[in-house]
This record gives sequence, C-alpha cells and structure tokens, in this order.
Amino acid sequence: MDLVTVTGLSKRYGGIVALSDAAFSARAGEVHALLGENGAGKSTFIQILSGAVQHDGGSILVDGQDYRPANPDAAQARGIAAVFQELSLIPDLSVEQNTWFRHEPRTWLGTVNRAEMRRKTLALLERYNFPALRPDQELRRLTLAERQIVEIAKGLAKDPRILILDEATSALPAREAEWLLKLTRQLAAEGRLVIFISHRMAEVRAIADRLTIFRNGATVAAHEANAVSDTEIVTQMIGRHLDRLYPERVASATDRVALSVTGLSSGSRLSGVDFILREGEVLGVGGLQGHGQRELFQALFGASRASGAVELWGKPASISNPRQALTGRDGIALVPEDRRGQGLLLTKSVRENLTLSVIRRFSENGLLSRQKEADLVREMVDFLRIKAGTPEQLAGTLSGGNQQKVIFGKMLLTQARVLLLYDPTRGVDVGTKGEIFQLMRDLAAKGYAILFHSSDMPELVHVADRVMVMRDGHVAATLEGDRISEAGILRAAMLEREAA
Amino acid sequence: MVMASAEQIGEMTQRSAETRSTRPAIDWRGRLLDRAPFLVACLMLALIVGIYGSLQSGVFTLDELNLDTAAAMTLMLAATGQTIVLLRGGIDLSIGGMISLGTVIAATRFTDDPSTTALWALVILALGFGIGALNGLLISLLKLQPFLVTLATWSILNGIAMIILPTDGGSIPTWWVGFASAQLFGLTSPVWMLFALVLFWWWFRATRVGITIQASGSNEKSAFLSGVSITRVNLVTYGLSGLFAAGAALFLVTQTGAGSPTIGKDYILPSVAAAVIGGVSLFGGRGHLAGTLIGAFVLTLIGNLVFVLHLSSYWQPVASGVILLLSVLASSVAEKAARSRVQ
Repeated sequence: MDLVTVTGLSKRYGGIVALSDAAFSARAGEVHALLGENGAGKSTFIQILSGAVQHDGGSILVDGQDYRPANPDAAQARGIAAVFQELSLIPDLSVEQNTWFRHEPRTWLGTVNRAEMRRKTLALLERYNFPALRPDQELRRLTLAERQIVEIAKGLAKDPRILILDEATSALPAREAEWLLKLTRQLAAEGRLVIFISHRMAEVRAIADRLTIFRNGATVAAHEANAVSDTEIVTQMIGRHLDRLYPERVASATDRVALSVTGLSSGSRLSGVDFILREGEVLGVGGLQGHGQRELFQALFGASRASGAVELWGKPASISNPRQALTGRDGIALVPEDRRGQGLLLTKSVRENLTLSVIRRFSENGLLSRQKEADLVREMVDFLRIKAGTPEQLAGTLSGGNQQKVIFGKMLLTQARVLLLYDPTRGVDVGTKGEIFQLMRDLAAKGYAILFHSSDMPELVHVADRVMVMRDGHVAATLEGDRISEAGILRAAMLEREAA
Repeated sequence: MVMASAEQIGEMTQRSAETRSTRPAIDWRGRLLDRAPFLVACLMLALIVGIYGSLQSGVFTLDELNLDTAAAMTLMLAATGQTIVLLRGGIDLSIGGMISLGTVIAATRFTDDPSTTALWALVILALGFGIGALNGLLISLLKLQPFLVTLATWSILNGIAMIILPTDGGSIPTWWVGFASAQLFGLTSPVWMLFALVLFWWWFRATRVGITIQASGSNEKSAFLSGVSITRVNLVTYGLSGLFAAGAALFLVTQTGAGSPTIGKDYILPSVAAAVIGGVSLFGGRGHLAGTLIGAFVLTLIGNLVFVLHLSSYWQPVASGVILLLSVLASSVAEKAARSRVQ
C-alpha cells in the first residue's frame, strides 16, 4: 500500500492559484523526486505536507488515514519532517539546540538536559556519517552550506517516516552533496520515504526510484525513474519543447581589458589571485566550493578587506566598500549568493528593489522624479520579462526565478559594466535558467564584462568563454576553448593537488 | 558532456573526507566578542564602584550592598520582564502603566488584615500577567508593532490608575513596608530577591519556554516553521513582563508607603536602558539577565556617585545617557568585529 496518496489537492492565496490539481503517491522505502519549474507548485505542496499551510480542496491520505495537519507540530506527530530550502534554523542557538529545538531531552526541573542532548547529537551525527560539525557552535557563525547540513540533522532528529528534502543539495559543496545523496539512499533503505526536490537532473537520476512532475499547480505525470528520458522530463516540466538550455556562445570579447586583478589576497582563503577580464567576455570561475571563489567575489565587490591591485577599464581602482564598487559606468555590480538575505528586500516592492541603489539617478534638484523612475522600472521589467502583476508587487511574493531577475535589473540599473554573478541560477527553474544564460550572452555582446561563478559545473562549461579554476585561494588553471570541460575543471580543481 | 569517472570522484571524496576529520578549534576570540557588551557593563560597574568607594567610606560593606540593592530592586524587577520581551524581539512600554496601577490598587486595598492584603497582592500579580497576555494577544492577532500596542495600553492603564487614585496617597500597612528591611543572615530581603532572580533566570533560560521565546526573537519565521505558535509565545512573553511589572509595583510600595498614579513612567525607559547596558540586543535573540541586573546597578549607582560628588541631581540623567551611549557603541563595535569575521 502507498504510504502517501494525494488527490486533487488545491490551494489559493488570495486571487493566485498555487495548486489546482496536484496528485501524488509514494511508497515507504523509496526516493521520490518532485520535479517542476519554480512556481509549478512544489513549494506549496511540501508546505501543505509539512503543515506550514493548509490546503483548500482535495485529500491527503497517510497510511490510508486522512491527513490535514494544522501546523508543523501536527505534521511531525504523524512522522513527516521537512528540510526547508528557506532554512528553519535559529541564528542565536547552537547546532545541537537547533537540532533538537522543541524536542530537547529534559531534566526533572523542566530544563534542557545538556549532557543527554550532546550524547544524542553525537549519536545522530555518527549514525548518518555527518560532515564535521561542532555541536556547541552558534548557528550564525556557520556558512550557508553548514547551516543546510544542520537543517538536515534537525529533520532527521525527529526520526521521520517521511522526510522532505527541498533543494537541499543546492547550497552544498560537491562532497557534501555527494554525502547527502548517499544518505538519501540510506534513509530509503531504512524503510523511510524521501521526497526529494532538486533542479539538478544528474542528482535525480542518481538516486530517485520514481518521480512526479508538476506544472502550473497540477501534476502532469509520474514515472518510474528508469523508464523515462531527460528530454521527456524536461518537456513535461516546461510544457513546450526546450530546444536549448544553453545559448549559442558567440565570441564577443574585445582586446580591451575591463578588469585586471593582480595579487589579490584576503584573509586565509584568498592568496595572490591574478587574472584579466575583457570587454564582452564571460569569464567563468570554477573549482570545488570553498576554495576562495566566494572571497574573490566579496573582495572585488569591496565587501571584505583585501590587498592587491585592481584596475577597472585601465584605471587603478580602490574598492573598499560596496558603495564605491557600485559607482557609475566604470563600476562593478554584484549578484550575491544569498538573494533573500543580501540582494532583495522581500517586503519592498519590485520597483523599490530595482531603484534602491540608484535612487540618485531619479532626483532633480534634490526631488525624486517619479515619472523618470516609473519609465526605467517599466523598461527593466519588460527587458527582463519579470512576471509581476504590477511593479508594486512585493518582491517576497515572486517566484525564485523572478526574484533573481529583479536582482539582475537592480544590477543593470547601476549602469556598471563589470558584472559579478555569484551562482545566479541557484534554486532557479530550468526555463528561467535558460533566460538568464541568454541574458548573460546578450550583455556580453553589448560589451559588458562578466565574471561568473556557478556551483553547477555544466553551466560554466556551456556559458563561459574561459574558465578560471580556483584551488586553495589561487588560480590553479585557466581553461580556454576545447579545454573547457567538466573533466578539465575537476582535474585542475582536485587531481593536480597531488603534485603540490 | 564529459564527466569524471565515478571512480575518480569516489577517490576524491574519500581523500577530502580524511582532510576534514579534524574539528575546528574553539573560537575563543568569537566567544569573547559575543560577550563584549556584557564585559563592558561589568567594567563600567567596577569603575563606578571603584570611584564611589574612593570618595565615600563604608562602600564595601554589607550595609551598602543591602541599601543599593533595595534602591535598584524595583528597576531590576521591571527590567527582568523587559529583558524577556527584548529577547523576544519586542518592547513593553505598558509596564509604566502597570506599575502605577499596581501601586494605587495596593494603596487603596491593602489593609492590616494579612489575608485580605495577600489576596489583593495576588490580584495585582494576576492582573499584571493578564494585561500583559492581552498585550501579547493584541500584537499577534492585530499584527501590530509591540511599541504601538504597549504605548496604547500604557496610556489606558495610566488613566485607570488616575481614576482609582487621582493624586499620590493611600496607605500601605506597616508590616508590608517592613518586608523590605527584613533580614536573614545579615542580608535584607532585596538581596535575597536578587539571588532569586538570578536563580529564576538560570532555570528559565534552560526551559523549553525560555528557549522558544529566545528563538522567536532570533528568527520568528524559522521558529514558526519549527512548529512554534507565535501567538502563544507573545502571550507568555508579555504576560511575564506584566507579571514582573506587578511584582515591581508590590516592591515599590514598600519604599514609598503610598500609591502613585504617575510613578510608573520613571521605570519604562530605564528598564530598557538597564537591559541594553547589560548587552541585551534590541533586535531580539541575544542577552542575559545578568547583564540587565548589572545595568540596573550601574544606573542606580550613578545616582549615588552624583550625590557624593556634590553635583546637582540633574546630572544623573545626563550621566545615565552618556553611559547608555557608551554601551551601545561598545556593542556595535563588537557586533561589527564579530560579523566581519563570520562572513
């Protein structure tokens, strides 16, 4: 018998239909992938399953019994736990406090039994072979990837029968992602159901037994994983035939140097990086995660202290804070890693987000020109094809892909022609990914110079003109032309380390 | 598309697993930075006590400890409630109204009959919790700013206090007043109350309720996703704040011997100031009562210092303000240093 059976599930938010007719069935002991573009209804579906929101119509059966959790607690009581993409962790609590939050072992005084909690934490980390974590470390000191791992520990701490992993690998470096995939198989082998959501087809291929595809709030198909091709899946996800995810790479680089970096160092993670980025070029930054890519982007944007020489369009530049980095046509603009935390103000409108950092451009004699602002905003919304009801819609209500487009718009409005894109497609659906790649090539053709980091290697291979591979905080190799391949990047990033 | 062979990758992951088996060392500097605001408060207190002690004889005696703790206790009680609210990421201005209301009820209802008085004392405490819980409920249900809701309830409570007792007056039975000077092992009851507060906090912060309140202040959405009922958290948080304000009122009347419909406002901002001086974050999620209690001592002893320096008493608020600014500066510097290291 199926562990979970969902039929005709629907959910509306005001006038917006998030789910219209979702169907889903899964057995205990399998890894069941949930696929669909952003906005297809996957998030709403798992929010309903995990008790964060309640459905309007349709039915959910768990173990053949009606299931309608009023809150996350009720869901947990029925053995369902979710590992959210927007993490549910508390910054000021420690790793172990977060792991057992609201389920702490207690003493007779009603206080938390710390020794018991430590013991249980270590046992849990051991049992599932977790990457090294200090149980007493406060969460806000951890990196995004480490937080994701804590979120997974928190989900497992409830010993759930059904575990939902929402884009859990997207924040993880390669080896931790690998670990999570193994863990997922282990959990299924223990007889649990793992509902696995990922935009990375290779991962789905590697671990899923079955998969269900969502589109526009409804289920379009369910398959045995080994009975369906990638092309079929993608076609069903987007509803039309996707000719090419990656745009044609037309070399548009000129001889003019847009950005020249010599001996850039920062802390212990970045030591002596040299490179040049030309006008009209997309320069990829690859390598294993945690080898200085993040620090490189932050240093160039002026968000962290760094030493070394940076020249922009042939002129020496001192970039000591983001404001300086942003300024004008000769400036630098960044699409940050954590778009919710750093790039977007979720409670502000699309318009306000777009014009926040360029407010000066609309002022005349100290007064804001609303007309000028409105024109530019409309132009940008059209150019990027941002799907928002009106420019006044709150950014937080947009889908992930559209949020990312708003950040692109914000960046383009600064008029800077050197763009730093740090993992711009993270958590973005396939259709929007294609649009973003096309946009990058279009911008390059217009003479923009783009530094591009992606945690998904094929993106670097197919979009960048050259790929600079980082290792231990410096440039290990720069690949050009035919030498750009996943194997080439991996080799430069890992294998040649033996020689060093 | 060329992929590295599975064998290669397996080999790589195995190797990297070995290199990361060592655990990161304890981050002492980070921990120190975290506690910097609290340490600055301790330093300030030591400095003030030092200056005070060098100007005045008999500062380092039990008598002085008894006196100063008694002088600080009303503020300490009010600030304990405020600390819980700040930890939740809110603020409670209504404690001013609650303290006034508590004193006027006590001054008009307390009699020489202990059982009647005890009953009314319980009524005042229950009222404190109830009104506080109502604050919490309004904040949750109307989705309003705590500042606005508690500003409104402050005004309402103040008005009711005025209606009950328009001017300072009424009377407090002597046996109730005597409570504040009762001694055990040479320590007066305020000092024992101080110990009780510390003990309460040690217990409270380790309970699930305490952790949940802190967690909700640290990140409300995460707390909700973890199954926390935000309405219930607000109810308990503001309820406790009201309860401590009522307790502050019951202690205050032992010193004034009368009720006052306006006295509560003197504790609103100092209760926030004491917490902030002690390193409690106004943004929620961080802070301890130990800091708040030290902050309350600092604010109280500044008064003594102004007195022994023969300055006009108007210098006291000036000095308090300067100290508050210094602490805020210290915590923001520490915060920045901590953040620049975390990335």
